[in-house]
Amino acid sequence: MQIEIRDLRKVYPGGVVGLHGLNLTIPSGLYGLLGPNGSGKTTLMRILATLLEPTSGEARVGGHDVHKDKAAVREMLGYMPQEFGFYPNLTAYETLDYFALLCRITGKQERQRRIEEALGHANLSQLAGRRVGTFSGGMKQRLGIAQALLNNPRVLIVDEPTSGLDPEERIRLRNLWAELAGDRVIILSTHIVADLAASAEQLAILHKGKLLFAGRPSELLSPLRGQTWIIDIEEEELSTIRSQFFVTGVFRSATGMQVRAIGEKMGHPKGYLAEPTMDDAYVHTMKREAGAEATALDQPTGVQAGPGAEANDLIN
Amino acid sequence: MTSSTRAEVVLAPGRGRAPALSATGVMAAARIVWREFQLNYRGPAFWVMAAGGVGIAVWRASLTGATSALAAYHVWRSAVTGLAVLAVLIGGAAAARDKRDASSELVLAKPLGASAQLVFARFLGVWLSLMTIVAIMLAAAAVRQLIGGTPWHVGAYANAFVRCLAPLALATALGFSLTAIFVNSLAGAVGALYWLAVPLVHAHVPSAADMTPTQHWPAPALLTIGLVALTAALHGRATKGAAESRACLGWAAALFIAAGLAVSLGIAYSGEDALSARDPVLSAMAAQRLLPEERAPGFWAPDGQHQIVGLSDFEGRPIALAFWGPGEPESARVIALLGEAASRYKGAGLACVAVCVDGDSATVGPFAKEAGAGVTIVRDRGQHYGDGEVWSDAPLGLAYEVKAVPTVFLLDRNRRLVARIESHSIESLARSLETLVAER
Repeated sequence: MQIEIRDLRKVYPGGVVGLHGLNLTIPSGLYGLLGPNGSGKTTLMRILATLLEPTSGEARVGGHDVHKDKAAVREMLGYMPQEFGFYPNLTAYETLDYFALLCRITGKQERQRRIEEALGHANLSQLAGRRVGTFSGGMKQRLGIAQALLNNPRVLIVDEPTSGLDPEERIRLRNLWAELAGDRVIILSTHIVADLAASAEQLAILHKGKLLFAGRPSELLSPLRGQTWIIDIEEEELSTIRSQFFVTGVFRSATGMQVRAIGEKMGHPKGYLAEPTMDDAYVHTMKREAGAEATALDQPTGVQAGPGAEANDLIN
Repeated sequence: MTSSTRAEVVLAPGRGRAPALSATGVMAAARIVWREFQLNYRGPAFWVMAAGGVGIAVWRASLTGATSALAAYHVWRSAVTGLAVLAVLIGGAAAARDKRDASSELVLAKPLGASAQLVFARFLGVWLSLMTIVAIMLAAAAVRQLIGGTPWHVGAYANAFVRCLAPLALATALGFSLTAIFVNSLAGAVGALYWLAVPLVHAHVPSAADMTPTQHWPAPALLTIGLVALTAALHGRATKGAAESRACLGWAAALFIAAGLAVSLGIAYSGEDALSARDPVLSAMAAQRLLPEERAPGFWAPDGQHQIVGLSDFEGRPIALAFWGPGEPESARVIALLGEAASRYKGAGLACVAVCVDGDSATVGPFAKEAGAGVTIVRDRGQHYGDGEVWSDAPLGLAYEVKAVPTVFLLDRNRRLVARIESHSIESLARSLETLVAER
């Protein structure tokens, strides 16, 4: 099972370009999709989910063209959009029963089994009898996952929300994707870059409808190995450091400030070599591409109270 | 066992998928209809409508002299006028549900989500919920009559239920389709209300309602199927790319809508309205006059069992000829009065004929069954009664110069007029009947 994308182009009415002739092959396993808002991630996922027609080019899911053979693609598709809702008057179980019917799972016992499995995967078994109208945001997200799993999809497309899931649930889901991946294609669009290092087999970074990177996480990290630094600085040094390095993170420490920076040589007396992280790699890739727009991305992880756990662990 | 193989076992590939037309496929479709029904009846609008409907039904069944036929008739009338307007809104709300609840993309990405079957199943679910309200109203009227000890005629309630099927289907389809096609529920509701309002103005309520019941059911049925098919053909267009090509469904929709409009036009041109002006027999009937010392105008008219009854069938017998309409519950009481008179003066050969001036054969049927053999109920042709007056296109009403109902004409054995009893002096009927049968 794989997805082939050839010269895929999407121009919205009004001339806004969603995708600039994208070429990509997505193999089985968990595939991460990264990029800022407006990068074309959602456009790509909606085209693959048969909800949007490409302007030109083609995308084939398991050999079936997403535009010409929608029915066949939908048969093997599980889709969870970033924003969605359910009918508030139905219970979680009834909602899944409705969607299972839409998946053509007509046998009663079969449907029941699938619903119970999906509820289990989404950790919702306890809430099956509760009306969806009373659900919290996180519960609705989990129900969204459950409905996407109903038809045992060979292609699962998940446009991850920016909020709604608590950290424990997030970790549980990461494990679920890894568990489900197997022979399936799972495309996970996420804003939490760090998570992909451990779970995604491959990933792509999109920016303004163009592909900046496609490959294994290690391939994204390896060029930065030996070039990623942690520097203890005084606050007033920050602008100088910014002019000399790609700064990927700024943290506040007890003694002053600490920055994560990428550069070939380290001239600063308090600079130490560090292991590159996905955050470093992502920010570096984006900044290199964005160039002049880099200012907007200066502080991707925000100014934190102390050095981040990831940063601490990875200091050489 | 590794984690990935465990997942494979848990989510084993699909079994139990059946082709659309198998028994399980039909059961699954029925289940979508049921879920749609649930979505409706669990909303507050359903129960507000049901409560209002029960109130109206119980009130109608509680009126003095209200028989089963009369109570059922008024439930039907409330349904095809009041409930139909609400059906437009409910149908519109159902069509806008995916948009409102932000579930469009979840639905459209499913194998059946963009299908025509889903559109039809959803329509049926909404229609079912409205017919449930009708059933609740009729049950409430029936219970009220049982409590009041009024004789109970199940056929009258069944008749009213069946007669609601077509008009409520059309009203639901209007709201459902216009909303689905125009996407915005408000636009759909305004459009649908406009079309409903056209026939509702100028006392055309009975006319609008009678276009739809039993004998005219093909018109609303064809339009309903056409509208829902059109909705199905366009389903998913709002989400660019989701729609499947369904050109044949579009053609079928056009065909059904065209046929529905043709049947409606046919009814309008050759139907019962103003028939007396076109049919030479009815024109002749309407041209007769009720004059003293001359035989009263004769007629042939259909009864509740679709038999043609003529005044000459009662040659040589004294006749009580009453004009009434179910729209005026007080006038319907005249049937009960005639029923009593018929049994009391059976020996004297009194013939009791009640001419319904408001409604079609489907309206008359339950009243005829309820009245029994003593009273022959026939109907004047066409739509003749509204806003308290008999309209000028009723041939019998014209011949007898009936201005309001009830009016009872007492004819002697030679079919000459003995007495004309208007609604305000109906109490004098018993005394006048006694005089009539005493004459030899």
